[in-house]
Amino acid sequence: MAVKVLIVEDNPVARSFLCRVVRESFSDVIAITEAGDLEAARKQINLTGGAQGLHGVDPFKLLLVDLELPDGNGMELLAELSQYPATKIVTTLYSDDEHLFPALQCGADGYLLKEDRFEVLVEELQKIVRGQPPLSPAIARRLLTHFRPGGSGDGTPHDSGFNSAGAFQSSRPVPIEKPLDHERLTPRESEVLTYLSKGFTIKEIATLMGIKWFTVNDHIKSIYKKLNVSSRAEAAVLASKQGLV
Amino acid sequence: MATATDSHPALDAAAGSMHGAAPHALRQPARRHWRPWQRQILAALALLGCLALFALARSLAASPGFDADWTLEPGGGVVLERSALAPLQRLAGARLEAIASPGGESLAADPLILLRVPRWALDDLPLPRWRQTQSRLSALLQQDGVVLRFDAARQLALQPKARGYAGLGALFWLTCAAALCLCLVAATLLTVRANRRNALYAVMAVAQALNLLLMGIAFMPGLGLPGWLVAGSPTVPMALDLITAAAFVHSVTLYPLLLPARRWIAGATWLSMMLVLLLVARSAIGLAWAWTQAGVVGCGLLVIGLLSWAYRIEPHPHAVLMRRVALAVQASSMLLTGAVVTAFARGMPAQSSFASTALVWYFFLASVLLLLPFLSRARPKSYELAMLAGVCTLAISLDLLLDAITGLEPFASVSMSFFAALLIYMFARQWLLDPTSRTGVLGSERMFENVYRTIREVEAQPHQSATLLAGLLRDMFNPLQARSVGQRPARSLVIDDGAALLVPVPGIEHHASGEVQSSVLLRYANHGRHLFTIEDARLTDGVVEQLRRAVAYDKAVERGRSEERSRIAQDLHDDIGARLLTLMYKAPSPEIEDYLRHTLKDLKTLTRGLAAADQRLSHATAEWKSDIGQRLAAAQIELSWSFAYDRDVVLGVVQWSALTRVLRELISNAIQHSCATHVDIAASLQAGRLRLSLADDGIGRDPHAWSHGLGLGGVRKRVKLLGGDVQWAENGHAGVICTVLVPDINARQ
Repeated sequence: MAVKVLIVEDNPVARSFLCRVVRESFSDVIAITEAGDLEAARKQINLTGGAQGLHGVDPFKLLLVDLELPDGNGMELLAELSQYPATKIVTTLYSDDEHLFPALQCGADGYLLKEDRFEVLVEELQKIVRGQPPLSPAIARRLLTHFRPGGSGDGTPHDSGFNSAGAFQSSRPVPIEKPLDHERLTPRESEVLTYLSKGFTIKEIATLMGIKWFTVNDHIKSIYKKLNVSSRAEAAVLASKQGLV
Repeated sequence: MATATDSHPALDAAAGSMHGAAPHALRQPARRHWRPWQRQILAALALLGCLALFALARSLAASPGFDADWTLEPGGGVVLERSALAPLQRLAGARLEAIASPGGESLAADPLILLRVPRWALDDLPLPRWRQTQSRLSALLQQDGVVLRFDAARQLALQPKARGYAGLGALFWLTCAAALCLCLVAATLLTVRANRRNALYAVMAVAQALNLLLMGIAFMPGLGLPGWLVAGSPTVPMALDLITAAAFVHSVTLYPLLLPARRWIAGATWLSMMLVLLLVARSAIGLAWAWTQAGVVGCGLLVIGLLSWAYRIEPHPHAVLMRRVALAVQASSMLLTGAVVTAFARGMPAQSSFASTALVWYFFLASVLLLLPFLSRARPKSYELAMLAGVCTLAISLDLLLDAITGLEPFASVSMSFFAALLIYMFARQWLLDPTSRTGVLGSERMFENVYRTIREVEAQPHQSATLLAGLLRDMFNPLQARSVGQRPARSLVIDDGAALLVPVPGIEHHASGEVQSSVLLRYANHGRHLFTIEDARLTDGVVEQLRRAVAYDKAVERGRSEERSRIAQDLHDDIGARLLTLMYKAPSPEIEDYLRHTLKDLKTLTRGLAAADQRLSHATAEWKSDIGQRLAAAQIELSWSFAYDRDVVLGVVQWSALTRVLRELISNAIQHSCATHVDIAASLQAGRLRLSLADDGIGRDPHAWSHGLGLGGVRKRVKLLGGDVQWAENGHAGVICTVLVPDINARQ
């Protein structure tokens, strides 16, 4: 049985390039579905059992989603598919944390930078599917801020100096409730993140922490998962506050 | 008398702003607002004072007398000058020989019957004889009729009548008003805060009020003085003067500074004044005058000395101001004394003119006393009033002096003294008002420059705004102290009677801790030579507000600019980036593909530089390392990386993008051409000096023979942009080493 892959990408050239990357990456028989925009992607997903993927029909195993699409942002789709049982990968030209971090919060399992060489992309894709997602120093920094007690996820620094209104600015609201377990990192995970944020490679971190490299990888995977869960919890809280649930 | 009533706006405002929000930590003790019982007490005291004055006026108005003015001839004769009574009018110019009663009792017309103010008589007159003469005169006037005997055997029988309120004279009512003012100011101060300082002020004020009142009564027109006044003169007025002087010395030991040996100084002063009083009571009139003047002048000199001492210990601007006021009073008092002595020595007989000169001086003293509690917050008008009184004293004393010394025509001496007084007034006014004038020591041009510079600095370092504002205020007021304090009033406050100014610093906040309430406390403007005034506080508020507005405006402009840049970056990235990507996928050869990839990466760096704010060095190095590591790993090249820095500086967009692209170019070069297996990157940043070296063990040799294509030319260009230098050399036995040196990384920010 063929492994089903959905590629959401508006640029046909890039789409066919990504198809090549996917075919090169896996030995299985691959059935690739292509979608040029969000609407087409949603249609395809509905055909395979909808966003929850619970109909017993054969769902997609792998999703490559471009962030910049003609009818919206790929993140919307990711947010809709938070329960969808597939490996979700963001493909983008934006390599900075400001674009990537929200995508990861929306449930992406990794990201591919479209300008990378073919071989690099193949390797990265394989790694993500194997559970070795990339984590750039900037994103590691954002993650550290996100999981810091009292940190609110967006790591933007406070405005300082003379404020425009002249009135006192109230200090940031501090949550009374303690963060749940899934919102906290273990000391080891924090350590891994700190090293990553300083630009160390996984191998170097393994040496520095005296552990195996795949253990470092496990930590990174776990961090991804926690980000995912905490983001979903945050979204749920937000939704219940807004009366959506 | 406005000050006495509760609704006086200036006093209320002053009490509110001076004490209402003054921080507890400062010297000003807590005093809030008028309490109802304080208002009631004051109202009661004012009523009591008016009633007492009315009772006095009533008893004086009932005393008998007749309306006539008398002068003293140079030979000692008493001459009728003018009268409103018809029978007396005909006798104008006649010399009075005696006053007799219908019963035959007679009092010879003696110069003593015209001596009203023995306090200012310098003759060594026997006091008992003056008292006897005056009491006999009073007794004669009490009788049913008197006979006035003039020279050339003319005589006139008259019936003395009650003087009536109009017969008390304008001078009497004037002195009454001044005395009431003094008493009420003293009462107000004591009600507001009953402490030793205010009690001493009350002693001075009441003593001078009584003095003025006694003079006013003595200057009533017509013959005859109340018996109690005769009994008390001249000892009581002299005692009042001495008490005032001693109280002044005592109060100066308490304010503006608690002087070290204040108990001893005050005790010694009071004791010596009591001794002088004892001598006065036992001496003849002339000697008593000399003793009194010596005591008063001595106290004045002591006050000036003590204020200078206090200023040297702590440069409180009040010490300067009070010393100047004391100097003015002292100088005028010495001028008066000198003029009276000179006139007396030259044989001028008109002792009533001494007394009237002295009366003007007493008015001057009263006005100064009225001014003293409000030195720092008085309206300029009250200063002008005091100075007007001062200049009158000056003119009259000078007139007396000129009269006595030169014997000029009266008109000439009056005009000369008038002009001299005016001249002195012009200079003295500036000198006296100097400490209360606007304390700004900067010209408007310098001030503008400073405000402008401070705005730029606050913008660059918002965390330093408290320090920067303190610096600006220091330039504006040149105070002895400027420090940050925790309190935060709504607007600038003058506290400690003008010795200090509290300026709130707007909207300073620190990370995580939120808003920190802070303000700047300035003490002793212009090194203690000036008082802070309400105008200063408002000026400061204006400057701070301008600063805040300018920074807010600049921030808004900067925000707009960065939004614009982000938009451009977004467009570049999305449009050109997507096209380059398509081109790259379709590239006919790997070289072109790599070239396009490189271009795309440069475009991304460019757009990120446009959109992003400044970056920390530590963040940038982490990204460089991660990026370079990945690229080299893909090309099977090992990387050794070390980046040492003494300080985690913030890189500007220019520095960041230049360094990023230099590194990328060098790495691309190594990957494409060197065939190296190992790349060693070592960098250090010490005190702004950046040294970066990239060595490979590849096949490249003899870098001087390289043709510098687009890549290496780009490296040169970017290093030059940073103000640095780049060199290539052979690296040991294999490969090349490239060294980048930037002397000051922040030079081109």
